[in-house]
Amino acid sequence: MDSIAKTIGLDFERVRQHLPWVTLVLLILVVGLADANFLKPQNLIGMAADIVPLFIMAMGLTFAIYIGGIDLSAQSVANMTTVIATVSLATFGIGAALICIFFGAVLGGVSGFVTTRLLVPSFVSTLAIGGVAFSIGEWLSGQRALYMDATMRDNAFGWMVGNTAGIPHEIFIGGVLLVGAWFLQSRTTFGRALKAIGAGELAAVASGLNVDRIKIMAFALSGAFAAIAGLLFAVKLSGGSPTIANGFLLPAIVAVLVGGTPLTGGVGGVINTLIGTLIVAVIRSSMLYFEIDATKQQMVFGIILIVAIAVTIDRSKLSVVK
Amino acid sequence: MYELQSVDKMFPGVHALKSVDFKIGRGEIVGLVGENGAGKSTLMKVIYGAYQPDGGTITIDGTAVRFQNPRQAMDHGIGMVFQEQSLITNLTVMENIFLGFEAQFVSMGVINWSKMAEAAGKQLAKVKLDIDPGMVTSKLSFAQRQLVELAKVLTLEERIDGDLVILLDEPTSVLAKDEVELLFKLVRDLTSRASFIFVSHRMDEVLELSDRVYVLKDGAVVDVVSKTEANVDAIQHKMVGRDVDKEYYREQRQTDFRDGVLVSFDDVSLGTSYRNISFELHAGEVLCLVGTEGSGREAILRTVFGLDRPDSGTVTIKGQPVTRFHARAGVERGIGYVPRERKIEGIVGGMNVYENMTLSQMQNYSSNGVLRIGDEKTLARSWIERLGIKTPNEYKDCGGLSGGNQQKVVLAKWRSGGSDVILLDHPTRGLDIGAKEDVYDMVREMSADGVGIILVADTLEEAIGLSHTILVLKDGEMQRLFNGFREGKPTLYDLVHHMI
Repeated sequence: MDSIAKTIGLDFERVRQHLPWVTLVLLILVVGLADANFLKPQNLIGMAADIVPLFIMAMGLTFAIYIGGIDLSAQSVANMTTVIATVSLATFGIGAALICIFFGAVLGGVSGFVTTRLLVPSFVSTLAIGGVAFSIGEWLSGQRALYMDATMRDNAFGWMVGNTAGIPHEIFIGGVLLVGAWFLQSRTTFGRALKAIGAGELAAVASGLNVDRIKIMAFALSGAFAAIAGLLFAVKLSGGSPTIANGFLLPAIVAVLVGGTPLTGGVGGVINTLIGTLIVAVIRSSMLYFEIDATKQQMVFGIILIVAIAVTIDRSKLSVVK
Repeated sequence: MYELQSVDKMFPGVHALKSVDFKIGRGEIVGLVGENGAGKSTLMKVIYGAYQPDGGTITIDGTAVRFQNPRQAMDHGIGMVFQEQSLITNLTVMENIFLGFEAQFVSMGVINWSKMAEAAGKQLAKVKLDIDPGMVTSKLSFAQRQLVELAKVLTLEERIDGDLVILLDEPTSVLAKDEVELLFKLVRDLTSRASFIFVSHRMDEVLELSDRVYVLKDGAVVDVVSKTEANVDAIQHKMVGRDVDKEYYREQRQTDFRDGVLVSFDDVSLGTSYRNISFELHAGEVLCLVGTEGSGREAILRTVFGLDRPDSGTVTIKGQPVTRFHARAGVERGIGYVPRERKIEGIVGGMNVYENMTLSQMQNYSSNGVLRIGDEKTLARSWIERLGIKTPNEYKDCGGLSGGNQQKVVLAKWRSGGSDVILLDHPTRGLDIGAKEDVYDMVREMSADGVGIILVADTLEEAIGLSHTILVLKDGEMQRLFNGFREGKPTLYDLVHHMI
């Protein structure tokens, strides 16, 4: 009995790493069979462009999850940035982008500091910092939706939302960030250190790595990506509000985990998150095709999240779960 | 008659027991010998019910039994006297003896202590130990505690109708010569009621006490010899698969150390861990820290590596007094740490061979933070060849390598990074004999290259065989420094005598 389970377990280990893209292909086929319009290039491209802000947030989250942590502040940081972008556009023009990224990185860095130096688990520290970010957004906006001046927006950020050869610019932005994040993760000492911390933090410490600093940087990166996501969202919608990105967090976490970066960290990465985000995009669109009410979306993602964690988590790394 | 027939036990990746046949008759004393990792403790755990065999049968007087846990084995008369002191030291002797079986002394929810003391006194008399059963266990000597453990197991006499089988796991390791004699006499006297399985590293003792000896090697019984035909050399030959001589620890290749001092401790103390420690580690020297668990061995290693800051005294590494205590600082000073928990602190499972090897020295394999992966692979290939690491290639996940090869990857990490002080914390723990010999070879090579090594060894034999100098510790204090290589190596008894 034991040995049978072990054999299946071993095979499952091999299957597990291919699950994400197999799931994606199957989903596309199922939805495509249900409605052939879904597979039209125009539809697929539009779907991909719509998901880019979520994808950018999920990429940032990947770094936090890759080291075995989590960033629950991502959505609030994105919310805050939509407001900062809108407010600062008039004065700083394109410089508003730098301000947004700076604030995102600082808040992420603070989460990292609280986690590593004050030994507060990241799910609590980022939740708390998320509260701070949300309040900054409410305070700056006066709890109202703000709008960008159309001319100023087009001058500073028009390049973000145009079309070239029928492909929306968001897709290029997402692509450039993906290449950068992949390079950072796979080709730099920083990325290697992230992997070591996720897969075996004690060995990383014993090898002399500056584990605290690297963790802080991972959370800062997550914050910066969340800020970029917020900025892009604000430009697309030509305005900001402290609640505009609500509903992003759950699908973003789903994208990372369904893509194959488990909560225990150490494996997966941003390419996995690309696949995970596309899965989220297809599920979202399919809900339209299958006429599932929009109010049920979060419920669907909540259930998927639980299933995804249950499937991807590395139980050998867990002694107790609370 | 207690009997195992073709018993198998598997663990992931390890066939720990291979079709083991074992029997012990009424009143018999049976010895069990084998190297570390030969399967002795697995076999014992199967016998006393802590492990369930994956194949084969266990019978008692011809009736098949299957134990789900040690408690069920005890109900069949099988008791274990543990090697590591399993007594709870802040409880009294009688509380320890009847731990888990207090119900017999309870009336109306209250324990009748005088009744328990009386019953405990009866058990202590069986082992001829004249102490107050109400004494706190921590006040007893190790020898007395060993006898209390035996007395505790002997409570089975009253509880069980049938024969008893009592396992003695290294019962003599903490005893002096006269205490050993006393224990042996006691065991012989008790054979009227119980049979004994006796496990020990000390071959002469096993032969003296046992009627028959089972020799285990690589999870299989390779021989059963009766007392009359047994001799120490023949058994050792069977255990190891060849003659054990000084070559096992590469003593012919041991060369004297040099004059240069790499690490020096001057009257260093750290809380309750260790006090007033002074020593010097020279280039090419193998310094072994010897003592029981908690004697301060590991704490001293941690201080040398830079993990724990001492309260007082001066630590000097290569002429520089150490002020920063941090793992990173240790690595920068050229200190390599081979931890006991190989899979947790040694290698990163999930990362491949080259990633593990460069983990402590990424700055040497990168330009402006960008890794030169080609150089990393070249490095890994050369060390795979140099140390004979058994891996299909440098891309292989280190988590999937055998323990010995993981250890080589850890050593390659430090050696390739130019560390000239290497701290080895139980470097051969859980390795098979071939892998151990590889580790011994590497120790000699590093020593010849002028690397200073501080070793906490798995066995005292290993400590004596490998070291130039041995520092004996007890309760955090230095007992004795043996300058063994230059002035003659100490014997096992010399060391044990100072350890406890």
